[in-house]
Amino acid sequence: MRINWRIVQNWIVPVVVLVAWQLFGGAGMLPRYLSTPSAIVEGLWEMAATGELLAAVAASLYRVTAGFVLGTGGGVLIGLAAGVVPAVRHFFDPLVSFLYSIPKIAFLPIFLLLFGLGHGSKIAIIAVSCFFPVFIASRHAVLAVNRLLIWAAQNMGAPARTVFFRVIIPAAAPQLFTGIRIGLAHAFVVLFAAELIGSKAGLGTLIAYGEEWVRFDLMFGGIVCFAALGFFADRLLLAIRQRVLKGQIIGTEEQVVR
Amino acid sequence: MTAKARAIVGRWYSIPLLLVVWGAAVASGLVQSRLLPGPGAVWDALTGETANGALVYHAGVTVSRALTGFLLAVLIGIPFAAAMARSPLVGNLFEPIFFLGYPVPKIALFPVFTYIFGIGTPSKVAFTFLECLYPIVVTCYFGFSGVQTRLIWTAQNCGASRMTILRRVILPAAMPSIFSALRIALPVAIVVVVITEMIGDSIGLGYYITIWSTRFRFANVYAAIIVIGVCGLVLDQAVLLLRHRIVHWQRERA
Repeated sequence: MRINWRIVQNWIVPVVVLVAWQLFGGAGMLPRYLSTPSAIVEGLWEMAATGELLAAVAASLYRVTAGFVLGTGGGVLIGLAAGVVPAVRHFFDPLVSFLYSIPKIAFLPIFLLLFGLGHGSKIAIIAVSCFFPVFIASRHAVLAVNRLLIWAAQNMGAPARTVFFRVIIPAAAPQLFTGIRIGLAHAFVVLFAAELIGSKAGLGTLIAYGEEWVRFDLMFGGIVCFAALGFFADRLLLAIRQRVLKGQIIGTEEQVVR
Repeated sequence: MTAKARAIVGRWYSIPLLLVVWGAAVASGLVQSRLLPGPGAVWDALTGETANGALVYHAGVTVSRALTGFLLAVLIGIPFAAAMARSPLVGNLFEPIFFLGYPVPKIALFPVFTYIFGIGTPSKVAFTFLECLYPIVVTCYFGFSGVQTRLIWTAQNCGASRMTILRRVILPAAMPSIFSALRIALPVAIVVVVITEMIGDSIGLGYYITIWSTRFRFANVYAAIIVIGVCGLVLDQAVLLLRHRIVHWQRERA
């Protein structure tokens, strides 16, 4: 059997780090806050058995999904409208360029007072954070559509609706997905910060509790879960993108970033 | 009204319109003025807190933390990306860490950082470094690996040494990607510093926002939000200016 050195090299660093972590941690040579990988797995198992983990994952997942869908939906709809209708564009452009450079998380204290410590404030802040990158990508995507394609369709007598759905949307789709992917990344960052700062449920809160109770295995368990959640959400989005765009992404950077 | 003036009004009317609606809504008592103070109150807070130095001090803390983490990530990330792109061994060793790690929300690791580096500036700078490192390495990696081979061949044919090729061919060819990496990473740095300051600190704009919102002085909160926005805008413009000077052969409109 031939050894594929590329794959061996790919695994060297993660495996060495994990093994060293486990060995040095087991020998008591690491600080106490770095629980060993085996302790983390045990902690995860313990939380899973009590059902705590499932409840936390469900709360976080609900918030991030609702916020992401609301923010992305709004961003796509208004962004497409801004791309097509100059009046909409002229209304939103100054506002967005002004608000874009502000980290939306700064509004969290205000959202907490408006919507409370529960799901509402997280969904709202996630939606607001997702809106901006998605809006900007959609608006630019529509404006970047090759005019020739639109003229060609119009010349052949296509009504505005057909031009929009059959020409503009397919041509703008790759850039749209780029914006949505950035929005998804923002969603998870904001979710975590919001759950750590003011919340009573969710993975971020679980991690904060683990810290408070000095149960570092539980803290790391929560971190691992949260990281996995973010990672698989991104993979799911890429898979959807691959299906929707089919032939359009060959040779782009995203194809390389597996 | 001339056509030009009309065009300017048509482009920019929404910001004054929003301010007027905001002011009217607050003045009429339609919205709770506690959560949303009027534009006048926010302006007073902004000028007052700038004049007494509080906002300037906290903004200085936040920006210097963000820039330190960002610059560390630039100094380490760009050579690292070049090594990954130009050496198959380094590339194979570290590709999975950066490409699989890219979509992982690294913010979840922040609690660990506070244990390792303490709650003050070092943990914020270290975490900003990590968050900036990913977009910088990934974006620059594509820049360095996308350098056209025939450019390198030409340089080799002319007898250029490896060092000359790196400095005079590869680096300039990757420069546009390097600048897009900087433009992606810089806002990330500011957001991350503000978030981590909100999670736990006693200085910085993130702390300032948290503390004044617990005291229900929301005019100060909005003033700080405006300051963060201005800082982000100024830094982004600085990067654009630098790009304009350095990448003079491929100028984009800002």
